[in-house]
Amino acid sequence: MKNLHHYHRILPWIIPAIFLTAWFFAGKFNWVPDYLLPDPFRIIKSGHVYLFAEAGSGPYAGRFLEDAAASLLRVGFGFSLAVVLGVPLGVLSGRMKICRHLISTTINGLRAVPGICWLPLALVWFGIGMQTTVFLVALAAFFPIYINTAAGTRQVSPLLYQAGAMLGVGRFRGVFAILLPAAMPQIISGLRLGLGLAWAYLVLGELTGVPSGLGAVIMDARMLGRIDIIIVGIIIIAGMGRVSDLLLNTILRLFFKSARRMV
Amino acid sequence: MNKPFQLIRSMPSITEQQPALSICKVSKIFPADNGYLNVLDNVSFDMTSGELICLLGPSGCGKTTLLKLIAGFMKPSAGNIRIHNRTVSRPGPDRCVVFQEDALFPWLTVSENIAFGAKGLMPKSRLVPEVRRHLEMVGLTAFKDYLPKEISGGMKQRVALARVLILQPQLLLMDEPFGALDAQTREDMQNLLLSLWEKFSHTIVFVTHDLVEAITLADRILVMGTNPGRIRSEIQVPLPRPRKKESNVFHSFFRDLRGRL
Repeated sequence: MKNLHHYHRILPWIIPAIFLTAWFFAGKFNWVPDYLLPDPFRIIKSGHVYLFAEAGSGPYAGRFLEDAAASLLRVGFGFSLAVVLGVPLGVLSGRMKICRHLISTTINGLRAVPGICWLPLALVWFGIGMQTTVFLVALAAFFPIYINTAAGTRQVSPLLYQAGAMLGVGRFRGVFAILLPAAMPQIISGLRLGLGLAWAYLVLGELTGVPSGLGAVIMDARMLGRIDIIIVGIIIIAGMGRVSDLLLNTILRLFFKSARRMV
Repeated sequence: MNKPFQLIRSMPSITEQQPALSICKVSKIFPADNGYLNVLDNVSFDMTSGELICLLGPSGCGKTTLLKLIAGFMKPSAGNIRIHNRTVSRPGPDRCVVFQEDALFPWLTVSENIAFGAKGLMPKSRLVPEVRRHLEMVGLTAFKDYLPKEISGGMKQRVALARVLILQPQLLLMDEPFGALDAQTREDMQNLLLSLWEKFSHTIVFVTHDLVEAITLADRILVMGTNPGRIRSEIQVPLPRPRKKESNVFHSFFRDLRGRL
Protein backbone atom coordinates (compact mmCIF):
# COMPACT_ATOMS: atom_id res chain seq x y z
CA MET A 1 0.00 0.00 0.00
CA LYS A 2 2.78 2.33 0.88
CA ASN A 3 4.42 1.82 -2.48
CA LEU A 4 1.17 2.59 -4.22
CA HIS A 5 0.95 5.86 -2.35
CA HIS A 6 4.49 6.62 -3.49
CA TYR A 7 3.56 6.05 -7.13
CA HIS A 8 0.68 8.45 -6.84
CA ARG A 9 3.04 11.23 -5.94
CA ILE A 10 5.54 10.51 -8.68
CA LEU A 11 3.16 9.57 -11.48
CA PRO A 12 1.89 13.06 -12.40
CA TRP A 13 5.45 14.37 -12.88
CA ILE A 14 6.77 11.66 -15.17
CA ILE A 15 5.43 13.13 -18.41
CA PRO A 16 6.57 16.70 -17.65
CA ALA A 17 10.01 15.35 -16.69
CA ILE A 18 10.34 13.37 -19.92
CA PHE A 19 9.15 16.36 -21.86
CA LEU A 20 11.65 18.71 -20.19
CA THR A 21 14.52 16.27 -20.68
CA ALA A 22 13.66 15.82 -24.32
CA TRP A 23 13.45 19.55 -24.70
CA PHE A 24 16.85 19.96 -23.06
CA PHE A 25 18.53 17.39 -25.33
CA ALA A 26 16.76 18.72 -28.40
CA GLY A 27 18.51 22.01 -27.78
CA LYS A 28 21.82 20.47 -26.75
CA PHE A 29 22.25 18.22 -29.79
CA ASN A 30 20.58 20.59 -32.23
CA TRP A 31 17.73 18.24 -33.09
CA VAL A 32 15.58 21.31 -33.40
CA PRO A 33 17.08 24.58 -34.59
CA ASP A 34 17.39 27.26 -31.95
CA TYR A 35 15.13 29.72 -33.78
CA LEU A 36 12.22 27.29 -33.52
CA LEU A 37 12.69 26.12 -29.94
CA PRO A 38 15.41 27.57 -27.67
CA ASP A 39 16.63 25.29 -24.89
CA PRO A 40 15.13 25.56 -21.38
CA PHE A 41 18.05 27.52 -19.93
CA ARG A 42 17.62 30.25 -22.51
CA ILE A 43 13.99 30.47 -21.47
CA ILE A 44 14.93 30.83 -17.83
CA LYS A 45 17.49 33.48 -18.66
CA SER A 46 15.11 35.45 -20.86
CA GLY A 47 12.39 35.08 -18.28
CA HIS A 48 14.70 36.51 -15.66
CA VAL A 49 15.57 39.46 -17.87
CA TYR A 50 11.92 40.07 -18.70
CA LEU A 51 10.85 39.88 -15.08
CA PHE A 52 13.66 41.48 -13.12
CA ALA A 53 16.15 43.40 -15.29
CA GLU A 54 16.10 47.17 -15.26
CA ALA A 55 13.64 48.59 -17.75
CA GLY A 56 15.28 49.84 -20.93
CA SER A 57 18.55 47.96 -20.34
CA GLY A 58 17.74 45.68 -23.31
CA PRO A 59 14.87 44.45 -25.43
CA TYR A 60 12.00 43.26 -23.22
CA ALA A 61 14.07 43.93 -20.11
CA GLY A 62 11.92 44.62 -17.06
CA ARG A 63 8.72 45.04 -19.04
CA PHE A 64 6.87 42.51 -16.95
CA LEU A 65 5.34 44.88 -14.42
CA GLU A 66 3.95 47.21 -17.02
CA ASP A 67 2.56 44.37 -19.13
CA ALA A 68 1.11 42.49 -16.19
CA ALA A 69 -0.55 45.65 -14.84
CA ALA A 70 -2.10 46.42 -18.23
CA SER A 71 -3.37 42.86 -18.63
CA LEU A 72 -4.67 42.61 -15.09
CA LEU A 73 -6.57 45.84 -15.53
CA ARG A 74 -8.24 44.52 -18.69
CA VAL A 75 -9.08 41.17 -17.17
CA GLY A 76 -10.28 42.87 -13.99
CA PHE A 77 -12.58 45.28 -15.82
CA GLY A 78 -13.91 42.71 -18.24
CA PHE A 79 -14.50 40.08 -15.60
CA SER A 80 -16.18 42.52 -13.22
CA LEU A 81 -18.48 43.62 -16.02
CA ALA A 82 -19.35 39.99 -16.71
CA VAL A 83 -20.10 39.37 -13.02
CA VAL A 84 -22.22 42.50 -12.66
CA LEU A 85 -24.33 41.48 -15.65
CA GLY A 86 -24.16 37.70 -15.42
CA VAL A 87 -25.10 37.09 -11.80
CA PRO A 88 -28.24 39.28 -11.65
CA LEU A 89 -29.47 38.11 -15.05
CA GLY A 90 -28.76 34.54 -14.02
CA VAL A 91 -30.75 34.96 -10.80
CA LEU A 92 -33.64 36.55 -12.68
CA SER A 93 -33.88 33.87 -15.30
CA GLY A 94 -33.27 31.14 -12.75
CA ARG A 95 -36.18 32.25 -10.58
CA MET A 96 -38.66 33.87 -12.94
CA LYS A 97 -40.15 31.96 -15.82
CA ILE A 98 -40.99 35.17 -17.65
CA CYS A 99 -37.38 36.31 -17.58
CA ARG A 100 -36.14 32.91 -18.63
CA HIS A 101 -38.43 32.84 -21.63
CA LEU A 102 -37.62 36.44 -22.41
CA ILE A 103 -33.84 36.23 -22.50
CA SER A 104 -32.72 32.62 -22.76
CA THR A 105 -33.19 32.31 -26.52
CA THR A 106 -31.29 35.51 -27.15
CA ILE A 107 -28.47 34.56 -24.85
CA ASN A 108 -28.16 31.04 -26.19
CA GLY A 109 -28.13 32.43 -29.71
CA LEU A 110 -25.32 34.81 -28.84
CA ARG A 111 -23.49 32.04 -27.05
CA ALA A 112 -23.46 29.96 -30.20
CA VAL A 113 -21.31 32.62 -31.89
CA PRO A 114 -17.63 31.75 -31.39
CA GLY A 115 -16.03 34.50 -29.33
CA ILE A 116 -13.36 35.14 -31.91
CA CYS A 117 -16.01 36.27 -34.41
CA TRP A 118 -16.57 39.34 -32.31
CA LEU A 119 -12.98 40.48 -32.71
CA PRO A 120 -13.32 42.23 -36.10
CA LEU A 121 -16.55 43.86 -35.01
CA ALA A 122 -15.06 44.94 -31.71
CA LEU A 123 -12.10 46.45 -33.55
CA VAL A 124 -14.45 48.49 -35.71
CA TRP A 125 -16.57 49.57 -32.76
CA PHE A 126 -13.94 50.24 -30.14
CA GLY A 127 -10.65 50.52 -32.03
CA ILE A 128 -7.42 48.93 -30.92
CA GLY A 129 -6.80 48.97 -27.20
CA MET A 130 -8.40 48.74 -23.82
CA GLN A 131 -12.05 48.80 -24.84
CA THR A 132 -11.87 46.02 -27.40
CA THR A 133 -10.09 43.73 -24.99
CA VAL A 134 -12.44 44.50 -22.13
CA PHE A 135 -15.40 43.89 -24.42
CA LEU A 136 -14.07 40.50 -25.51
CA VAL A 137 -13.16 39.47 -21.97
CA ALA A 138 -16.57 40.50 -20.60
CA LEU A 139 -18.40 38.75 -23.41
CA ALA A 140 -16.49 35.51 -22.96
CA ALA A 141 -16.77 35.45 -19.16
CA PHE A 142 -20.46 36.38 -19.16
CA PHE A 143 -21.88 33.12 -20.52
CA PRO A 144 -20.55 30.60 -18.00
CA ILE A 145 -21.36 32.98 -15.15
CA TYR A 146 -24.91 33.55 -16.39
CA ILE A 147 -25.61 29.91 -17.19
CA ASN A 148 -24.28 28.52 -13.93
CA THR A 149 -26.04 31.16 -11.83
CA ALA A 150 -29.31 30.46 -13.62
CA ALA A 151 -28.96 26.70 -13.22
CA GLY A 152 -27.90 27.03 -9.58
CA THR A 153 -30.71 29.34 -8.51
CA ARG A 154 -33.23 27.30 -10.45
CA GLN A 155 -32.36 24.18 -8.48
CA VAL A 156 -32.72 25.75 -5.04
CA SER A 157 -35.29 23.68 -3.18
CA PRO A 158 -38.64 25.45 -2.79
CA LEU A 159 -38.57 24.09 0.76
CA LEU A 160 -35.78 26.50 1.65
CA TYR A 161 -37.82 29.33 0.24
CA GLN A 162 -40.91 28.29 2.18
CA ALA A 163 -38.82 27.95 5.31
CA GLY A 164 -37.52 31.45 4.72
CA ALA A 165 -41.01 32.83 4.15
CA MET A 166 -42.35 31.41 7.40
CA LEU A 167 -39.30 32.72 9.25
CA GLY A 168 -40.21 36.18 8.03
CA VAL A 169 -37.84 36.58 5.10
CA GLY A 170 -39.56 38.24 2.16
CA ARG A 171 -38.86 37.70 -1.51
CA PHE A 172 -36.30 40.44 -1.89
CA ARG A 173 -34.27 39.73 1.23
CA GLY A 174 -34.59 36.05 0.40
CA VAL A 175 -32.43 36.57 -2.67
CA PHE A 176 -29.46 37.45 -0.49
CA ALA A 177 -30.33 35.44 2.59
CA ILE A 178 -31.36 32.21 0.88
CA LEU A 179 -31.09 32.10 -2.89
CA LEU A 180 -27.50 33.19 -3.44
CA PRO A 181 -26.02 31.16 -0.57
CA ALA A 182 -27.97 28.08 -1.62
CA ALA A 183 -26.78 28.42 -5.21
CA MET A 184 -23.25 29.37 -4.20
CA PRO A 185 -21.44 26.17 -5.27
CA GLN A 186 -22.70 26.55 -8.82
CA ILE A 187 -22.18 30.30 -8.91
CA ILE A 188 -18.59 29.71 -7.91
CA SER A 189 -17.99 27.20 -10.68
CA GLY A 190 -19.47 29.72 -13.11
CA LEU A 191 -17.15 32.44 -11.84
CA ARG A 192 -14.10 30.19 -12.10
CA LEU A 193 -14.94 29.07 -15.61
CA GLY A 194 -15.58 32.69 -16.53
CA LEU A 195 -12.25 33.82 -15.13
CA GLY A 196 -10.43 31.12 -17.09
CA LEU A 197 -12.08 32.27 -20.30
CA ALA A 198 -11.33 35.87 -19.39
CA TRP A 199 -7.61 35.14 -19.58
CA ALA A 200 -8.01 33.34 -22.89
CA TYR A 201 -9.83 36.25 -24.47
CA LEU A 202 -7.46 38.74 -22.93
CA VAL A 203 -4.69 37.29 -25.05
CA LEU A 204 -6.94 37.34 -28.10
CA GLY A 205 -7.75 41.00 -27.54
CA GLU A 206 -4.14 41.91 -26.98
CA LEU A 207 -2.93 40.17 -30.11
CA THR A 208 -4.38 43.01 -32.14
CA GLY A 209 -1.44 45.35 -31.68
CA VAL A 210 -1.87 47.10 -28.38
CA PRO A 211 1.43 48.48 -27.05
CA SER A 212 1.46 46.70 -23.68
CA GLY A 213 0.09 43.58 -22.09
CA LEU A 214 1.10 39.95 -21.87
CA GLY A 215 -0.67 39.05 -25.10
CA ALA A 216 0.96 42.02 -26.82
CA VAL A 217 4.40 40.84 -25.74
CA ILE A 218 3.82 37.42 -27.25
CA MET A 219 2.73 38.92 -30.55
CA ASP A 220 5.55 41.42 -30.55
CA ALA A 221 8.09 38.68 -29.85
CA ARG A 222 6.78 36.64 -32.75
CA MET A 223 7.45 39.47 -35.16
CA LEU A 224 10.98 39.87 -33.84
CA GLY A 225 11.59 36.14 -33.84
CA ARG A 226 12.11 35.97 -30.08
CA ILE A 227 10.69 32.48 -29.46
CA ASP A 228 12.14 32.52 -25.94
CA ILE A 229 10.01 35.53 -25.03
CA ILE A 230 6.90 33.90 -26.50
CA ILE A 231 7.42 30.89 -24.27
CA VAL A 232 8.14 33.11 -21.26
CA GLY A 233 4.88 34.94 -21.98
CA ILE A 234 2.93 31.70 -22.20
CA ILE A 235 4.31 30.48 -18.89
CA ILE A 236 3.57 33.78 -17.18
CA ILE A 237 -0.01 33.87 -18.49
CA ALA A 238 -0.55 30.31 -17.27
CA GLY A 239 0.87 31.25 -13.87
CA MET A 240 -1.22 34.39 -13.55
CA GLY A 241 -4.35 32.53 -14.59
CA ARG A 242 -3.76 30.00 -11.85
CA VAL A 243 -2.97 32.65 -9.25
CA SER A 244 -6.06 34.66 -10.12
CA ASP A 245 -8.18 31.52 -9.78
CA LEU A 246 -6.76 30.88 -6.31
CA LEU A 247 -7.30 34.51 -5.43
CA LEU A 248 -10.92 34.42 -6.57
CA ASN A 249 -11.50 31.34 -4.45
CA THR A 250 -9.85 32.89 -1.43
CA ILE A 251 -11.82 36.11 -1.72
CA LEU A 252 -15.13 34.28 -2.06
CA ARG A 253 -14.35 32.09 0.91
CA LEU A 254 -13.36 35.13 2.90
CA PHE A 255 -16.60 36.98 2.30
CA PHE A 256 -19.23 34.25 2.03
CA LYS A 257 -20.04 31.64 4.64
CA SER A 258 -21.72 29.58 1.97
CA ALA A 259 -18.54 29.54 -0.12
CA ARG A 260 -16.55 28.42 2.91
CA ARG A 261 -18.92 25.74 4.05
CA MET A 262 -20.55 24.25 0.99
CA VAL A 263 -17.79 23.95 -1.58
CA MET B 1 -35.35 34.45 32.54
CA ASN B 2 -38.41 32.45 31.60
CA LYS B 3 -40.82 34.85 33.22
CA PRO B 4 -41.54 37.41 30.46
CA PHE B 5 -41.89 34.59 27.97
CA GLN B 6 -44.52 32.88 30.11
CA LEU B 7 -46.42 36.12 30.58
CA ILE B 8 -46.66 36.77 26.85
CA ARG B 9 -47.85 33.21 26.29
CA SER B 10 -50.76 33.52 28.67
CA MET B 11 -51.89 36.93 27.43
CA PRO B 12 -54.46 36.22 24.73
CA SER B 13 -57.07 35.09 27.23
CA ILE B 14 -59.58 37.51 25.77
CA THR B 15 -59.72 35.45 22.62
CA GLU B 16 -60.03 32.17 24.45
CA GLN B 17 -63.64 31.79 23.44
CA GLN B 18 -62.87 32.17 19.75
CA PRO B 19 -61.23 29.28 17.94
CA ALA B 20 -57.47 29.68 17.62
CA LEU B 21 -57.68 28.24 14.15
CA SER B 22 -60.77 28.05 12.04
CA ILE B 23 -60.88 26.13 8.76
CA CYS B 24 -64.08 26.94 6.96
CA LYS B 25 -65.26 24.98 3.90
CA VAL B 26 -61.81 24.88 2.39
CA SER B 27 -61.27 23.29 -1.01
CA LYS B 28 -58.15 23.10 -3.08
CA ILE B 29 -58.09 22.27 -6.76
CA PHE B 30 -54.96 21.74 -8.81
CA PRO B 31 -54.84 21.77 -12.59
CA ALA B 32 -53.97 18.28 -13.86
CA ASP B 33 -53.26 16.65 -17.21
CA ASN B 34 -56.89 16.09 -18.06
CA GLY B 35 -58.94 18.70 -16.26
CA TYR B 36 -58.63 19.25 -12.54
CA LEU B 37 -57.54 17.41 -9.44
CA ASN B 38 -59.68 17.93 -6.39
CA VAL B 39 -57.13 17.61 -3.61
CA LEU B 40 -59.20 18.99 -0.76
CA ASP B 41 -62.95 19.08 -0.74
CA ASN B 42 -64.97 21.15 1.67
CA VAL B 43 -62.84 20.69 4.78
CA SER B 44 -63.97 22.40 7.97
CA PHE B 45 -62.80 22.24 11.57
CA ASP B 46 -62.01 24.51 14.51
CA MET B 47 -59.22 24.34 17.03
CA THR B 48 -59.09 25.87 20.46
CA SER B 49 -55.96 27.50 21.76
CA GLY B 50 -53.43 25.01 23.11
CA GLU B 51 -55.00 22.05 21.41
CA LEU B 52 -52.94 19.36 19.70
CA ILE B 53 -54.65 17.70 16.78
CA CYS B 54 -53.33 15.10 14.39
CA LEU B 55 -54.31 14.94 10.75
CA LEU B 56 -54.17 11.25 9.99
CA GLY B 57 -54.45 9.77 6.54
CA PRO B 58 -52.80 7.86 3.74
CA SER B 59 -50.51 9.65 1.33
CA GLY B 60 -52.40 11.62 -1.27
CA CYS B 61 -55.22 12.61 1.05
CA GLY B 62 -54.23 16.25 0.97
CA LYS B 63 -53.03 16.56 4.53
CA THR B 64 -49.79 18.23 3.54
CA THR B 65 -51.73 20.50 1.18
CA LEU B 66 -54.00 21.49 4.05
CA LEU B 67 -50.97 22.29 6.18
CA LYS B 68 -49.46 24.40 3.42
CA LEU B 69 -52.73 26.30 3.10
CA ILE B 70 -52.71 27.03 6.82
CA ALA B 71 -49.09 28.08 6.58
CA GLY B 72 -50.04 30.47 3.79
CA PHE B 73 -47.70 28.99 1.18
CA MET B 74 -50.68 28.78 -1.12
CA LYS B 75 -54.27 29.99 -1.22
CA PRO B 76 -57.38 27.83 -0.96
CA SER B 77 -59.52 27.56 -4.10
CA ALA B 78 -62.60 28.07 -1.96
CA GLY B 79 -63.37 28.73 1.68
CA ASN B 80 -61.15 30.48 4.15
CA ILE B 81 -58.72 29.92 6.97
CA ARG B 82 -58.70 32.18 9.97
CA ILE B 83 -56.31 32.41 12.87
CA HIS B 84 -57.73 34.27 15.85
CA ASN B 85 -60.32 35.62 13.44
CA ARG B 86 -57.82 36.97 10.94
CA THR B 87 -57.81 35.45 7.48
CA VAL B 88 -54.54 33.84 6.44
CA SER B 89 -53.18 35.35 3.25
CA ARG B 90 -49.43 34.71 3.35
CA PRO B 91 -46.75 32.97 5.40
CA GLY B 92 -45.80 34.54 8.67
CA PRO B 93 -43.84 33.87 11.82
CA ASP B 94 -47.02 33.51 13.89
CA ARG B 95 -47.54 30.03 12.43
CA CYS B 96 -44.44 28.04 11.85
CA VAL B 97 -43.85 24.85 9.96
CA VAL B 98 -41.57 21.99 10.86
CA PHE B 99 -41.06 20.27 7.53
CA GLN B 100 -41.03 16.60 6.76
CA GLU B 101 -37.64 16.70 5.14
CA ASP B 102 -34.60 18.50 6.08
CA ALA B 103 -35.23 22.16 5.32
CA LEU B 104 -32.38 23.66 7.30
CA PHE B 105 -30.04 26.11 5.64
CA PRO B 106 -26.97 24.01 4.82
CA TRP B 107 -24.54 26.93 4.92
CA LEU B 108 -25.47 27.92 8.47
CA THR B 109 -24.41 26.23 11.69
CA VAL B 110 -26.93 24.84 14.15
CA SER B 111 -27.01 28.04 16.19
CA GLU B 112 -27.10 30.26 13.10
CA ASN B 113 -30.04 28.25 11.79
CA ILE B 114 -31.86 28.76 15.07
CA ALA B 115 -31.08 32.48 15.03
CA PHE B 116 -32.15 32.93 11.38
CA GLY B 117 -35.76 33.95 11.87
CA ALA B 118 -35.28 35.75 15.17
CA LYS B 119 -32.41 37.90 13.91
CA GLY B 120 -34.62 40.68 12.64
CA LEU B 121 -36.97 40.62 15.60
CA MET B 122 -34.69 41.28 18.54
CA PRO B 123 -31.45 43.09 19.32
CA LYS B 124 -28.28 41.04 19.42
CA SER B 125 -28.07 41.36 23.18
CA ARG B 126 -31.30 39.38 23.45
CA LEU B 127 -30.74 37.11 20.50
CA VAL B 128 -27.62 35.46 21.89
CA PRO B 129 -29.18 34.29 25.18
CA GLU B 130 -32.39 33.31 23.36
CA VAL B 131 -30.46 31.10 20.95
CA ARG B 132 -28.55 29.59 23.85
CA ARG B 133 -31.78 28.89 25.70
CA HIS B 134 -33.34 27.18 22.70
CA LEU B 135 -30.22 25.14 22.02
CA GLU B 136 -30.52 23.90 25.58
CA MET B 137 -34.23 23.29 25.21
CA VAL B 138 -33.68 20.82 22.36
CA GLY B 139 -30.46 19.45 23.83
CA LEU B 140 -28.05 20.62 21.15
CA THR B 141 -25.76 22.94 23.09
CA ALA B 142 -22.76 20.73 22.36
CA PHE B 143 -23.51 20.81 18.63
CA LYS B 144 -24.12 24.52 18.19
CA ASP B 145 -21.22 25.04 15.77
CA TYR B 146 -21.91 22.01 13.60
CA LEU B 147 -23.28 22.25 10.09
CA PRO B 148 -26.51 20.42 9.20
CA LYS B 149 -24.62 17.90 7.07
CA GLU B 150 -22.58 16.92 10.11
CA ILE B 151 -25.46 15.97 12.40
CA SER B 152 -28.02 13.15 12.42
CA GLY B 153 -31.59 13.28 11.13
CA GLY B 154 -33.03 13.48 14.63
CA MET B 155 -30.76 16.37 15.52
CA LYS B 156 -31.75 18.18 12.34
CA GLN B 157 -35.40 17.98 13.32
CA ARG B 158 -34.50 19.32 16.76
CA VAL B 159 -32.88 22.30 15.06
CA ALA B 160 -35.96 22.68 12.85
CA LEU B 161 -38.09 22.73 16.00
CA ALA B 162 -35.86 25.18 17.84
CA ARG B 163 -35.66 27.64 14.97
CA VAL B 164 -39.44 28.02 14.97
CA LEU B 165 -39.95 27.93 18.75
CA ILE B 166 -37.64 30.91 19.13
CA LEU B 167 -40.26 32.96 17.24
CA GLN B 168 -42.88 32.03 19.86
CA PRO B 169 -45.50 31.13 17.26
CA GLN B 170 -49.14 30.77 18.26
CA LEU B 171 -49.51 27.88 15.92
CA LEU B 172 -47.11 25.06 15.16
CA LEU B 173 -47.63 23.16 11.92
CA MET B 174 -45.80 19.88 11.75
CA ASP B 175 -45.65 17.95 8.49
CA GLU B 176 -44.69 14.37 9.35
CA PRO B 177 -41.65 15.80 11.08
CA PHE B 178 -40.51 12.50 12.57
CA GLY B 179 -41.47 10.29 9.63
CA ALA B 180 -37.92 9.73 8.43
CA LEU B 181 -36.45 8.91 11.85
CA ASP B 182 -35.75 5.51 13.36
CA ALA B 183 -38.18 4.20 15.97
CA GLN B 184 -36.14 5.12 19.03
CA THR B 185 -35.30 8.63 17.84
CA ARG B 186 -38.89 9.16 16.82
CA GLU B 187 -40.08 8.29 20.32
CA ASP B 188 -37.52 10.66 21.84
CA MET B 189 -38.70 13.43 19.56
CA GLN B 190 -42.35 12.78 20.43
CA ASN B 191 -41.49 13.05 24.10
CA LEU B 192 -39.52 16.23 23.51
CA LEU B 193 -42.42 17.74 21.60
CA LEU B 194 -44.92 16.79 24.32
CA SER B 195 -42.77 18.23 27.08
CA LEU B 196 -42.36 21.50 25.18
CA TRP B 197 -46.07 21.56 24.45
CA GLU B 198 -46.92 21.08 28.13
CA LYS B 199 -44.60 23.94 28.99
CA PHE B 200 -45.68 26.46 26.36
CA SER B 201 -49.08 25.11 25.27
CA HIS B 202 -48.78 25.91 21.59
CA THR B 203 -51.65 25.10 19.31
CA ILE B 204 -50.32 22.26 17.19
CA VAL B 205 -51.46 20.71 13.93
CA PHE B 206 -49.50 17.52 13.46
CA VAL B 207 -49.67 15.62 10.18
CA THR B 208 -48.92 11.91 10.29
CA HIS B 209 -49.82 8.63 8.64
CA ASP B 210 -48.87 6.66 11.74
CA LEU B 211 -51.81 5.74 13.96
CA VAL B 212 -49.61 5.03 17.00
CA GLU B 213 -48.00 8.43 16.69
CA ALA B 214 -51.40 10.07 16.40
CA ILE B 215 -52.71 8.33 19.52
CA THR B 216 -49.54 9.16 21.45
CA LEU B 217 -49.75 12.86 20.68
CA ALA B 218 -53.22 14.05 19.89
CA ASP B 219 -56.10 15.49 21.87
CA ARG B 220 -58.14 14.89 18.77
CA ILE B 221 -57.52 12.96 15.58
CA LEU B 222 -58.98 14.05 12.26
CA VAL B 223 -59.01 11.08 9.93
CA MET B 224 -58.76 12.05 6.28
CA GLY B 225 -59.70 10.07 3.21
CA THR B 226 -58.55 10.31 -0.38
CA ASN B 227 -60.11 11.29 -3.66
CA PRO B 228 -61.14 13.93 -2.94
CA GLY B 229 -59.36 14.67 0.33
CA ARG B 230 -61.87 15.29 3.08
CA ILE B 231 -62.27 14.67 6.77
CA ARG B 232 -63.90 11.29 7.22
CA SER B 233 -64.16 11.20 10.96
CA GLU B 234 -63.11 12.98 14.09
CA ILE B 235 -61.90 11.08 17.12
CA GLN B 236 -61.32 12.39 20.62
CA VAL B 237 -58.43 10.70 22.36
CA PRO B 238 -59.50 10.47 26.00
CA LEU B 239 -56.38 8.64 27.23
CA PRO B 240 -54.66 10.29 30.20
CA ARG B 241 -51.19 11.73 29.72
CA PRO B 242 -48.39 10.72 29.80
CA ARG B 243 -49.48 7.97 27.48
CA LYS B 244 -47.55 4.73 27.61
CA LYS B 245 -47.50 2.78 24.38
CA GLU B 246 -47.16 -0.47 26.34
CA SER B 247 -50.23 0.13 28.49
CA ASN B 248 -53.45 -1.83 28.05
CA VAL B 249 -55.67 1.20 27.55
CA PHE B 250 -53.40 2.38 24.77
CA HIS B 251 -53.54 -1.02 23.12
CA SER B 252 -57.26 -1.42 23.30
CA PHE B 253 -57.80 2.10 22.02
CA PHE B 254 -55.41 1.41 19.16
CA ARG B 255 -57.12 -1.87 18.27
CA ASP B 256 -60.53 -0.33 18.46
CA LEU B 257 -59.52 2.57 16.25
CA ARG B 258 -57.75 0.46 13.69
CA GLY B 259 -60.83 -1.70 13.40
CA ARG B 260 -62.98 1.34 12.77
CA LEU B 261 -60.75 2.92 10.13
